[in-house]
Amino acid sequence: MRCGLGHRRLSIVDLSERASQPMASDDGRFVVVFNGEIYNYPQLRAELETDGAHFRTTSDTEALLHLYARHGAEMVHRLRGMFAFAIWDVRQRRLFLARDPYGIKPLYIANDGWTFRFASQVKALLAGEHVSRDPEPAGIVGFHLFGSVPEPFTLYREIRSLPAGHTQWIDATGPREPKPFSNLAEVLARGAANPVPKAELCERLRAGVLDSVRAHLLADVEVGIFLSAGVDSGALLGLMRDAGQREIRAITLAFAEFQGTSEDEAPLAARVCEHYGARHIVRAVSEQEFFDDLPAILEAMDQPSIDGVNSWFVSKAAKEAGLKVAISGLGGDELLGGYPSFSDLPRWRQWFGPLAAIPGLGLFARKVLGRIVPGLARARPKVLGVLEHSGTWAGAYLLRRGLFMPSELHEVIDVEIVREGLRRLKPLQRINATLVPDPSSDGARVCVLESAHYMRNQLLRDADWVGMAHSLEIRVPLVDFTLLHALAPLIPTLREGTGKAALANAPSKPLPNNIVVRAKTGFNVPTGNWMNAAIDRGSHQASRTTEAKGLVSRRWSLAVLNGMASANVEPEVRAS
Amino acid sequence: MKPSPAMLAIVTDAFGGRGGIAQYNRDFLGALAESRIMSSITVLPRHAPDPPEPPKPIAQMPARPGRVAYSVAALRCALAQSVDLVFCGHIFMAPLAALIARLKAAKLVMQTHGIEAWPCPPRLQRAALESADLVLCVSRYTRATVLSWAAIAPDRVLVVPNTFKESFMPADGGTTRAALGIENKRVLLTVARMDSQQQYKGQDRVISAIPYVVAHGHNVEYAVVGEGDDRPRLESLAHKVGVSDRVRFFGATELRVLTALYSMADLFVMPSKGEGFGIAFLEAMVSGTPALGLNIAGTRDALADGELGTIVSESELPSAIVRLLNKPKPDPVALAAATRARFGREKFAADVRNAMNRLIEA
Repeated sequence: MRCGLGHRRLSIVDLSERASQPMASDDGRFVVVFNGEIYNYPQLRAELETDGAHFRTTSDTEALLHLYARHGAEMVHRLRGMFAFAIWDVRQRRLFLARDPYGIKPLYIANDGWTFRFASQVKALLAGEHVSRDPEPAGIVGFHLFGSVPEPFTLYREIRSLPAGHTQWIDATGPREPKPFSNLAEVLARGAANPVPKAELCERLRAGVLDSVRAHLLADVEVGIFLSAGVDSGALLGLMRDAGQREIRAITLAFAEFQGTSEDEAPLAARVCEHYGARHIVRAVSEQEFFDDLPAILEAMDQPSIDGVNSWFVSKAAKEAGLKVAISGLGGDELLGGYPSFSDLPRWRQWFGPLAAIPGLGLFARKVLGRIVPGLARARPKVLGVLEHSGTWAGAYLLRRGLFMPSELHEVIDVEIVREGLRRLKPLQRINATLVPDPSSDGARVCVLESAHYMRNQLLRDADWVGMAHSLEIRVPLVDFTLLHALAPLIPTLREGTGKAALANAPSKPLPNNIVVRAKTGFNVPTGNWMNAAIDRGSHQASRTTEAKGLVSRRWSLAVLNGMASANVEPEVRAS
Repeated sequence: MKPSPAMLAIVTDAFGGRGGIAQYNRDFLGALAESRIMSSITVLPRHAPDPPEPPKPIAQMPARPGRVAYSVAALRCALAQSVDLVFCGHIFMAPLAALIARLKAAKLVMQTHGIEAWPCPPRLQRAALESADLVLCVSRYTRATVLSWAAIAPDRVLVVPNTFKESFMPADGGTTRAALGIENKRVLLTVARMDSQQQYKGQDRVISAIPYVVAHGHNVEYAVVGEGDDRPRLESLAHKVGVSDRVRFFGATELRVLTALYSMADLFVMPSKGEGFGIAFLEAMVSGTPALGLNIAGTRDALADGELGTIVSESELPSAIVRLLNKPKPDPVALAAATRARFGREKFAADVRNAMNRLIEA
């Protein structure tokens, strides 16, 4: 068995050449390539040095080599951070792969039976031209169901991702089955079994998030922040101050279309910056720039996604500002119940669950409603699936997050791909599997569903490819396994708005009240109109600006898939 | 320490059987017996036309040609003894093997070869294969096609390439050439069956290339070994292109003649479009004769992506034959050694041992 490793570095901790990768251990036995950041590196280093380890660099990469030499595969339990790495054991001729619990960093693998390849992007595997581009029906169907490609699938049959929170051995007999080392549902189930008084929410949350922010500031370069007018990024900015960062540059996007409306984030973000004494950079983005950048966006998109445009521009702005690292509030909604799904899913289950349990009723209702109210089917197609899907958590989640419903797929992709894709993907089983063991409360269940699906497959993937396209590391302190452990006992007690309110109060100088009460908008861009215009440019149809956001997303998803196919000369993955 | 597992092998044929699949099963089960991983190996074949002589500790039950009789015998056999592992040698038998594995709470190992596993099988067979703990494929191509229709974790699908008999080795072909009266000719050789239902082996493509090869200065003789009902078509083709005096059909040959033909040939050429692997390539190369095939399916594996033999597209075939005949025959001993190192019985035994060990350890 022979092994070749390559690496392209974005240097953030230890900027010197000595920290370049692949990095070998002192005795040359272990060689590592690593993508990510180990935030508890200082503590690990201190422990390892006490244990006799000798460090040649100040890079967290080297800590991985020492940890592996001492603890083998068990080392992953000691890591706090985002990581995807491979360690080659020269003596035992075997490779060890690991990926962080949330799946912040991607790790794709391709095995043809003779050669095992891995990379941090799908396109890196394809670039060698030895990996088949044969389409994976489960990936294609998954994209149309969710708007992103659900792991472990990709658009290509031969390429899969190592699942989040898993390790894998590869030796002379080939790759072994990936083994899990962490489970979001289990953490939440354990937390529910050891509840703490509600009164502790604010203090626990403050301590946990401050600890996470402090850990995420580890860098030998400046750390900036993406700032919206929402609670998550505002509170993180305040906590960066509490963690001791003096100079902070915060980046906000502004759009002419939103000027003077409630969707314009710049004025409120400016107030937050003023509140915390940060330097505010407002980056204006126009529709023309969107069109100019669209080819580059589609080319950089590693796997198709209906989102990512907003992250693209804020990352671009960060790069223009000379930043290599930026903190993002991504994950706050998943952790603290910020999405409508936290109230919708339990409600749907309660209202429609009993009816949905009647065999055949859901299917019957969909067919009948589709016939007698065809307008409803066109305008709100997912409504037809309420009785069919809301009987289970997985079904209700699919209904909430689904782009197209399974019954609609045949309208946009080949029937055979739909059949085979659904058979291989098993979407409901796959979603349900993430709820084992049962997290024990509605809030915790939705937290797991949003974190293990929407956030993992879409938000984190988008953050990765847009970040990498701009040589920017996006750090997500609210997506932190240590923080999840700390908050797990409290998550079942969260009610609508209480989590976010507690987060707003977490900085020693709480967020201004008008930020807290403002309806959540996140980092919005006028994508609806732009997407419509982009689609219409391609199809030469009249603009349909009155369409619901969900319908625009559907049309956009097809445009993205076809646009990616053109940008990357992809095979038979086009939508009809 | 875990006790050694007992295996029940559900196979079409193995010891006392004929053909490539029987040979593979013998190789596989023999390697397993040698490894001493299993406490017992019970083989249940459907066919065994020749006297079976399995090595110890393999026990082969009497052949049961009928489907029902075979199934009853397999179930009886399984119920009467301890079974920890079920080996299924052919996808047609997968549902029965999966049933037995389920009844006995045993692990299931499925073997796939070539064209039998390429098209998506009927639903029951597919479900049975998808329930397997391990699927062994003889080539990357077969593995890729299995994964195209089976919803199974790719890490459970391994490639264990074919091996070859020890009888093949480099030898002086002078005597054979003299006996055949072709001392001054360059000899092309194909060893493959001639099945009118599966005309993919490519003898017709070689016959059609002969005029081009002759036109480029090579006085060639084409030796065709193998039997089958497609022979009249090939003979007629040779006549039609005016090369019937250069094509010699040997039919099925005994092993002694076959080894002599392999060593004597200047170039083994089998432009097949449907090889699961192509053991004949290995037999040729380990006999010291360079091999040429198409860049299609399992041929790529047998020729090691061009490291051991030569792979070309169909349109390049005539010019590739000329190019290879223009060169002197490469060092037969070196070619045989390289082939043995990559596909020899020791390597095969190690592959089998490793594959089964990872299943037993899991």
